Amino acid sequence: MTLPAEQPTMIEFKDVHKYYGDYHALRGITATIRAGEFFSLLGPSGCGKTTLLRTIAGFEDISSGVVMIDAKDMAGVPANQRPTNMVFQSYAIFPHLTVAENVGFGLRKDPRTKEEKAKAVSEALEMVGLTGFGARAAHALSGGQRQRVALARALILKPKVLLLDEPLSALDKKMREQMQVELIKLQRQVGITFILVTHDQEEALVMSDRIAVMFDGEIAQLDDPETLYRKPANRRVANFIGTMNFLPAKIVSETSQSIQVEAAGFGSFTVAADQASGKKGDEETAVGFRPETLTILFDDQKASDREAMATVEEVVYYGDMTYYDIRLDGAPVAMRLSMRNVPGRPVLDIGARARVAWSTAALVLFR
Amino acid sequence: MIKIGLQAEGTTESLGGTMAQGRLQRRILNPEAINGLKMISPTALYATLLLAVPLFLIFLYSFLTDGYLTIERIPTFGNYVETWTSPVFEKVLMRSLGVSMAVTAATVLAAFPMAYFVSFYVEPSKKSIWLFLITIPFWTSYLIRVFLWLVILGYNGVINSTLMGLGVITEPITAILYNANSVVITLAHAYAPFAILPIFVALEKIDRSLLEAGRDLGESPLMTFVRVTLPLALPGVVSAIMIVFIPTIGDYVTPSLLGGPEGKMVANLVQLQYLKLDNYPMGSATAVSSMAMVGIALIVGFAQSKLFRRVYGAFIGYSNAGLSILAALAAVLISFGACIVVGVVASGAFFAIVLAVAIGHIALLIWLKSQESKA
Ligand SMILES: Nc1ncnc2c1ncn2[C@@H]1O[C@H](COP(=O)(O)OP(=O)(O)OP(=O)(O)O)[C@@H](O)[C@H]1O
Ligand SMILES: [Mg+2]
Repeated sequence: MTLPAEQPTMIEFKDVHKYYGDYHALRGITATIRAGEFFSLLGPSGCGKTTLLRTIAGFEDISSGVVMIDAKDMAGVPANQRPTNMVFQSYAIFPHLTVAENVGFGLRKDPRTKEEKAKAVSEALEMVGLTGFGARAAHALSGGQRQRVALARALILKPKVLLLDEPLSALDKKMREQMQVELIKLQRQVGITFILVTHDQEEALVMSDRIAVMFDGEIAQLDDPETLYRKPANRRVANFIGTMNFLPAKIVSETSQSIQVEAAGFGSFTVAADQASGKKGDEETAVGFRPETLTILFDDQKASDREAMATVEEVVYYGDMTYYDIRLDGAPVAMRLSMRNVPGRPVLDIGARARVAWSTAALVLFR
Repeated sequence: MIKIGLQAEGTTESLGGTMAQGRLQRRILNPEAINGLKMISPTALYATLLLAVPLFLIFLYSFLTDGYLTIERIPTFGNYVETWTSPVFEKVLMRSLGVSMAVTAATVLAAFPMAYFVSFYVEPSKKSIWLFLITIPFWTSYLIRVFLWLVILGYNGVINSTLMGLGVITEPITAILYNANSVVITLAHAYAPFAILPIFVALEKIDRSLLEAGRDLGESPLMTFVRVTLPLALPGVVSAIMIVFIPTIGDYVTPSLLGGPEGKMVANLVQLQYLKLDNYPMGSATAVSSMAMVGIALIVGFAQSKLFRRVYGAFIGYSNAGLSILAALAAVLISFGACIVVGVVASGAFFAIVLAVAIGHIALLIWLKSQESKA
């Protein structure tokens, strides 16, 4: 899934700041996006994702810093001369043109003949699964079809970078999932760098080679989906991507290889130094772990690492999964735990006592 | 190549045969329709009494004979024959059309940048104030505005005294008052808000991301305007044209106050026949004739604008037919120009115009078809 790191750089941000009047929308963005990468900008509403995307497209002037595309400084280069194309959130399909005219809009200055251009248009339509829609009026399209037209219209120009601003948010769940798969396939097929803006963490995890998680105009973490999920840089990122439990902890001693930790409920244990996230002193010390790294032991099952007794405080049944809120004996807070439902295994009731197992290797230490 | 979902749907079959008989019955006599008719009846009654009846009376008058002090109930086409053979009517009608066209062109051309400015460059919160400011001229009576123009354009008026004071001219310009020019200037000023508003509304409706899309797809700001903004604003421009053209052609006050003998228009002729000569049938025939003219002019204009849109569409579409499209635009202009020349020189000017426009239109249609079949 992850591209090799030696892939050449396509986009580089160097300390990019953007002010809207007094409002500091981008606060020192420094990042590199590689050629051929499926890159996502993920973050809550208002964190500046769209703003950052628009600085790439050239719709937004930056207040300071450098944006480079394909090793060229983009300062002063207008949107129409940048090697990028955009799929707008509203799709921005020209209502006065047919589907084919929309797709061919950017080909006006193309030196090819009319016939060749028409052929390119029908090929682009075929690529997005809209064969035969060319003569349709733009207003006679469904949301999903509009999106495909917008894609074809951008891809026909063979940009170096394709920018997508929440392209799937207007679609229903089923359609969205289908389009996610199609976009991934399309990206592999054309090999163009895709930069996707989304506030949907699941979407970002499914689609991206790498993800930049943004909060308040800053990139909080830039990693591949697996690292992002397994080892979030701080508690905010951890909470934004999936669910994470936090248990207050105390660092007893620390060497360059390992850290001795004590947490009420978990007892005293040692973690490897690289399980610690963030800079020292950033946050209150806590151990974090994902719900699926805790397991309830049934009958005479044995824990592979550690186990303790707990009480079930809440049960949420999802069909294939059950979520339990459990409180380890002696722990100050309840924790969420997820179990796959297996035939013949009972779903526990609220108040039940259970043996809970975990592995210290799956913990993340925030400090 | 990977193919994604969806295929074009088959053409939907047309619904089964509808019965022509009974359709009328279903339309008018079903309870819903009756209800609807009941609901519109007050308005319909009002419109009938105040619009249809007077119009019908004028229509009726135009086929009657003028007696000395009365109107004889002898049906005749004589009024129309006289109207259409009268060189005065022809001249005045041509002038009215010319003045209206000039007013329309001037007004719409001036209104577009204004509307564009308010829509694109004024902060959203201040737009309503701007629109409000645009309506300020309406706070005074139209008559006063006309007299103001008299002051501005007059022999010793603002323009002349300023230019003379600056030494630009040595004698006052007389070409700007008491002729068609002053009528055009005054009307263009008076109708500006009517043209600004529909264009403004059309511009406001344009999704701004469409303009960004235009830029994103490689077009400069100017070409984005040409290929995106202008075509999307066209409905507003067309309504502005109609709103200005239709009332100005029958304008009465402006030419009678500012037109002088050389600036009189159709409405003045009608007034002359009705009130001065007391010839109702002739006045009616003149009025009906000029109404018919406006109707025909509008139909021709519509046909032309449809064609123009297709030509323009080909121009802004992806097919890079640049030069040939410019040629087509030139052809449209030439057809208009030719019409006017033919119209002014030949007698029966108006029909000549219609004929020439129609020929030009058909020629262009044929040309476009051939272009399209090539594509
Ligand atoms: N033209 C503007 N003028 C002033 N402030 C703006 C402007 N555009 C955006 N902002 C502000 O900048 C911040 C970032 O906006 P941006 O559109 O990038 O957010 P986003 O991350 O895309 O959010 P969303 O997920 O809601 O689209 C927001 O707080 C927004 O209010
Ligand atoms: Mg956004």
